Amino acid sequence: MNNIVYLLVQLLVILLVAPFVNGLIKKVKALSQKRKGASVFQMYFDLYKLVKKKTVVSNVSSWIFHVTPYIVFATAMAAALLVPVSTKILPPQIPGDFIMVVSILALGRFFLMIAALDTASTFGGMGSSREAMISALIEPSILISMFTVALISRSTSLPQIMETVQKVGIPLAHPVYIMVGLALLIIILAETCRIPVDDPATHLELTMVHEAMILEYSGRHLALLEYGAAVKQLVFMTLFVNILIPQDQLIGVIGLGALILSLLIYLLKVILLALVMGIIEVNTVKLKLFSIPNLAALSFILAFLGVLQFLILGGKHV
Amino acid sequence: MTSNLKGNLESKFALKVFSGKEFSETAFPLATNQVNINSQTTLASDKDNSQHVSFSDHDDKFWQEQDNVYYLEAPLAKVKEICCYIQELGCPLVLMFANDERNFQAGYAVYYVFAVREEGMLVVIKTKADPESMEIPSISNHLHAASGYEREIQDLFGLVPIGHPDAKRLVFHGNWPQGVYPLRKDFAVGQKPDFAQEKIRFQEVVGEGVYEIPVGPVHAGIIEPGHFRFSVAGEPIINLEAQLYYVHKGIEKLAEGQSLEKCLFIAERISGDETFANSLAYCQAIEKIAGTKVPARAAYTRVLFAELERLTSHLGDLGGICLDAGYGFANFQFQMMRGWAYSVADELCGMRFLRSVNKLGGVRKDFVSGKEAKLIELLLNIRSELEDTVNIVKSNSMFIDRVENTGILEPKIAVDLNAVGPGGRASGIRYDVRKAFPYAAYPNLNFKVPEHNNGDINCRMNTKIEESFEAIDLMIQAIEGMPVGKVCEPIAEVKPYRFAFGLTEAPRGENIHWVMTGENNTLYRYKIRTPSFCNWPALCHAVKGNIVPDFPLINKSFNLSYAGNDL
Repeated sequence: MNNIVYLLVQLLVILLVAPFVNGLIKKVKALSQKRKGASVFQMYFDLYKLVKKKTVVSNVSSWIFHVTPYIVFATAMAAALLVPVSTKILPPQIPGDFIMVVSILALGRFFLMIAALDTASTFGGMGSSREAMISALIEPSILISMFTVALISRSTSLPQIMETVQKVGIPLAHPVYIMVGLALLIIILAETCRIPVDDPATHLELTMVHEAMILEYSGRHLALLEYGAAVKQLVFMTLFVNILIPQDQLIGVIGLGALILSLLIYLLKVILLALVMGIIEVNTVKLKLFSIPNLAALSFILAFLGVLQFLILGGKHV
Repeated sequence: MTSNLKGNLESKFALKVFSGKEFSETAFPLATNQVNINSQTTLASDKDNSQHVSFSDHDDKFWQEQDNVYYLEAPLAKVKEICCYIQELGCPLVLMFANDERNFQAGYAVYYVFAVREEGMLVVIKTKADPESMEIPSISNHLHAASGYEREIQDLFGLVPIGHPDAKRLVFHGNWPQGVYPLRKDFAVGQKPDFAQEKIRFQEVVGEGVYEIPVGPVHAGIIEPGHFRFSVAGEPIINLEAQLYYVHKGIEKLAEGQSLEKCLFIAERISGDETFANSLAYCQAIEKIAGTKVPARAAYTRVLFAELERLTSHLGDLGGICLDAGYGFANFQFQMMRGWAYSVADELCGMRFLRSVNKLGGVRKDFVSGKEAKLIELLLNIRSELEDTVNIVKSNSMFIDRVENTGILEPKIAVDLNAVGPGGRASGIRYDVRKAFPYAAYPNLNFKVPEHNNGDINCRMNTKIEESFEAIDLMIQAIEGMPVGKVCEPIAEVKPYRFAFGLTEAPRGENIHWVMTGENNTLYRYKIRTPSFCNWPALCHAVKGNIVPDFPLINKSFNLSYAGNDL
């Protein structure tokens, strides 16, 4: 029973909120440009429109091209199930930890990269090679930063980690978590293809990373890829907010009321983070492609400093 | 240097240098009616003949004003030597074109135009191509700037440049048949040649890991068509070849035989965002031929419009650079100011793209009267917003990091390719048509030409920022200093086979038009060279060694016109 409720809550929350986050970030950018901008719910309409549209597939492509959208979406959803949105409803056991989250997402990314090569179009290969470079650089820092919190809570399981940080109070007041938080923020920007790493709004194929890989997709395939990217983005944001701003301990009780309250708080935290991401995007510009390693290195160093601080200061009572 | 050059050319090559007046008489004997000169006579011996010609005062005045253009005719065999000599003196080849002069001379003429920029003088060398072999000696190996012109002449006239390092087709693609040359007089306007199928050959770069990226001709975003062929090793670009001319419209051919008034409309439509610069260059050339002095009020009005066009163009470019770097906020700031500038244009003439403002002999009506205070207010408003925005943009270190040392156009290459406008000025070329060949009311106004040396995107951007401020100041000066009076002096009938240059500084740089009149107030030949023609090869050099994702940014910092290049 508990498992089914957990699955339902995870699926519903992630699926419903993911497109809204994109709309919110776009709204922040629009407001900075003195535009009204599209409604924050625009992406729902876009997805609906894409699903209705005909899917055009190049006749030189193979089965990889066809299955990739489903794999990308499925892996994103699978990862979403491993990252609890609320600690008020946890199943007795989730098979899988954050290492699995990273691996599952890597599987989706792998298929996306080979699908981009599959059509042999001009830009797909460029997108793939850049994506491979960026992900190879950013994945170590995801693991290191997550290992830091795993060391503190003595478990790599995400529900366990989230339970532990409930007892910390205000994690962001502690240097270990500050380091991890900054590293995670850079990771989120890189993983979700946002400025300064990639520009989701650009029309210039030569500069694209993620967009270049999905250029050949249309209709419902494109809808799945876009949705998958939005879900992945929310997974990373959930990771960030539930580890660094855990406020579930404020609601002492367990039950439906507490669950709804904690979900509302979760939503508020996600909105806050989306606004911060929007503001970062407004104030930065796209880095030179060859400067991205510097950004990834910065993220890695921050995560590593987190580990060192844990080793020196100890993390038991933080 | 002028006297030096003249003297040297006379002594060294036994050629006589003279002004367009004598040239017109000798080179176009039919034109200077009554005088019967054997067209085969060499120019050096024509001294006596020219004294027999009686010119009206009107004509004398015309040629006096053309005094800064020196024409000389050289035999085909000596052209290369002379061109190299002039180039060594530091005078760049700014234009080269051919003309079908079989009507009054045997064969085709090729004109080489050099600019002595310090003196504000043009030196034109005319030679006659051999009508039998249809060959001209190529000078591209010595003057790199000639390469594009020679290929253009080959496509349009069928004159083969012998010894050209890469004489592949330029204007026409594989679907235009060989052997059809539209600018020859016997090619009728509207004639549709058969569809040919020929593969376009690109320069091949081979080596381990080297591959080609074909981009275009259809691009994302609202831009004109052009194909770019990158040869890359990973991300760094080894070579870039641009295949343009997808929007070749045959403008030069269309203009031939049209009335002078009608051709003004053609000139306005050469390139949408350089409407005024092109129509002004055309008007200036015709006014020179007709000997019309433009009223002072019209000259000031022209400055106002020309600078307004520069401002809108530069603001659009600056916004584009920011957009391509992912700096959305700054882009929208610049686009907003561009919108304001367009509303100034709307306020002035009811037309945002400045068409139907110029008229032969002046401007169409008094656009400014009664609006002075409002215009100055609008301009000052743009100025203060621009100052704020520029401060924000320049203090964004991430953005500066992006544009600094990216897309460097080496000064040496800029000189060799005759890069013009902000693209050239950012690479250390100190040249602005408004200073070197002053026109309209520019001699009476104060402005500075930006000086930059590094040749990267940052320099081009700063050049455009500074020029935008100068443009606003010039407009305010022009409005405040505008004398009263009429705005148009009707032009008299023009004599046939007269020719003149019209030079303007378009937003993208030096813009040269050469006009030769035909009978009954028509055009015989209209050669247009917009700044984009010079700067496209410069762009291809500037991207070398940069990485692929930086290309859009470099491209935008030049922001060249496809329509203005393809004609």
